[in-house]
Amino acid sequence: MRQFLRRLVRKHPEAGTITLVVLISLLFTGLTQGLWLSVGNLQSLSQLTAVLAIMSFGEAMVIATGEIDISVGSTFGIGALVFLGLAPILGSGPALIAALLSGFLIGILNGIFVALVGIPSLIVTLGTLFLFQGVAYAATSGFSFAATDTVRKEFIYNSVGGGNLGSLNGAVWWVAAILMVLHLVVFETPVGNRILAVGGDAASSYSRGVNVGRIKFGMFLVSGLLASFAGVLDAAYIGYADGSFGASMELSAIAAAVLGGCHLTGGRISLLGTLLGAFVLRGIQSFLIILGVQPQWYILVLGLIVVFASLTDRTLTRLALRR
Amino acid sequence: MPNSSTDSRKPLISMRNVSLSYGNFQALSDVSVDFYQGELVGLVGDNGAGKTTLIRIVSGIIAPNSGEVYFDGERITKFYPKKAIDLGLECIQQTIGLCDNLSVGRNYFLGREPTRRIFGLPFLDKKKMREASAKVIHDFGLRATVDVDDEVALLSGGEKQTFKIARAVTFRNRVIIMDEPTNHLSVRERGRVNELAVQLKQQGLLVIYITHDIFQIHRIADRIVILENGRKVTDIPRDAMSAEALEGIIRDGAKASAVQRSRNPKEEP
Repeated sequence: MRQFLRRLVRKHPEAGTITLVVLISLLFTGLTQGLWLSVGNLQSLSQLTAVLAIMSFGEAMVIATGEIDISVGSTFGIGALVFLGLAPILGSGPALIAALLSGFLIGILNGIFVALVGIPSLIVTLGTLFLFQGVAYAATSGFSFAATDTVRKEFIYNSVGGGNLGSLNGAVWWVAAILMVLHLVVFETPVGNRILAVGGDAASSYSRGVNVGRIKFGMFLVSGLLASFAGVLDAAYIGYADGSFGASMELSAIAAAVLGGCHLTGGRISLLGTLLGAFVLRGIQSFLIILGVQPQWYILVLGLIVVFASLTDRTLTRLALRR
Repeated sequence: MPNSSTDSRKPLISMRNVSLSYGNFQALSDVSVDFYQGELVGLVGDNGAGKTTLIRIVSGIIAPNSGEVYFDGERITKFYPKKAIDLGLECIQQTIGLCDNLSVGRNYFLGREPTRRIFGLPFLDKKKMREASAKVIHDFGLRATVDVDDEVALLSGGEKQTFKIARAVTFRNRVIIMDEPTNHLSVRERGRVNELAVQLKQQGLLVIYITHDIFQIHRIADRIVILENGRKVTDIPRDAMSAEALEGIIRDGAKASAVQRSRNPKEEP
């Protein structure tokens, strides 16, 4: 039995998160007399989860290489603002491309300073977090951008979160597709092998001929791209965005990844786990809203979860690696 | 071109007046040394003599501050490990080379993963990775319970070392560098590694064997190069001197430099 548990934890870091998902689902459903499990709540929960998960996937990819990207909150906001700001003028297609490009550029900026200059990613991305938050506030200067009625009728707008496919928001379909692609890339391709190797032991990877800088650079691009795309998905769903859009989302993204079994030291990640982690966080958030608890308490819960998750994470790893 | 007046053969690796410092610390000063195909060279010296620095340059991990490095007559201008690997050089490093978080199979092929195309996209050929690394595990007598899907973190120090050697030997090409290869190994395993070094040489490879155990290397090497405080102090065929005499050089060199250091405490950190 112990042996089985060890193997399970070693091969499937998300096993703990799955258990957590089942437990809190039961608990919240019971405590809210079934309201939490209602179709309406699950529909909004799935949209919220999808948006957070897409952002957290990027975070997980950066964490896989042993770095961290705190700037995703601002990138999310910039992506949303660029999309909604340009869509009424250029149409939602070009606006989408511009939004993704902005995330890509933030990723390049982070990548240059981390991978080429060699500054710790915590410092670099903390800097870009504030930098682009500042840009977002300055660009909106107290106003908000909103989608016009013409834009809301456009096909692209509706396929990037503005509308539903079946009874689920577009973002839910996007998260499924992105999860599949990233999972295959990380675990089934040579690039994925090198990404995990860099996070596990950068010096050893380098000595085996892996271009450590290029891999890290690439993951910051992926993170920037996904964060801005998540911003677009959420902006199209809500229909308007202001300078505070995405504020403190970076905390949730990191928490979702850690909760999902990604090791902050790098080299071990789970993308399915990250999706489940995002679900748990959003589930708690919606539970608190249903209970009528002030939303500020969510931040406190978030902090507790990160501390608790990293503790369990260490214990589980020790268990798995003991012979 | 490096000078070849003393030896009619062309050296495979030639280092000319190579120097390297880490901050204030002069790790290598003005070292010139040649290595030839089909020879087993013992690179010997005390701790901090510059042995590891020298092979780090050869294997492309760091670039020298000055001096020239030639591989097969071609001047090397850019230093990075991939280049060395592509030129046919395998290096078994002391402290690095394996990623603990990856499986045995994934580590074995890191940097040269075999792929199969699905819809034109390169996916890992996991079957090939498993089979090839399982064969290596078996051939090199790692314990039967080691599985190719096990993370390397589960291996013992000796098993990791054996695995690194096995990987280098299986991918053998032109040069194999072994940095203290017998560390962490049992007496019997040591004997096997030394036998292996000789076999590789006999197959026509250049083997550079780094150690501080002069007696061990004197038995198997064709040539002994001694480094001392970043300088080459001796470069002689094995038969020219006994192991005891060579040990004397290393010991006296260490003493001399200790005296020198105490006289000029500011010169060396």
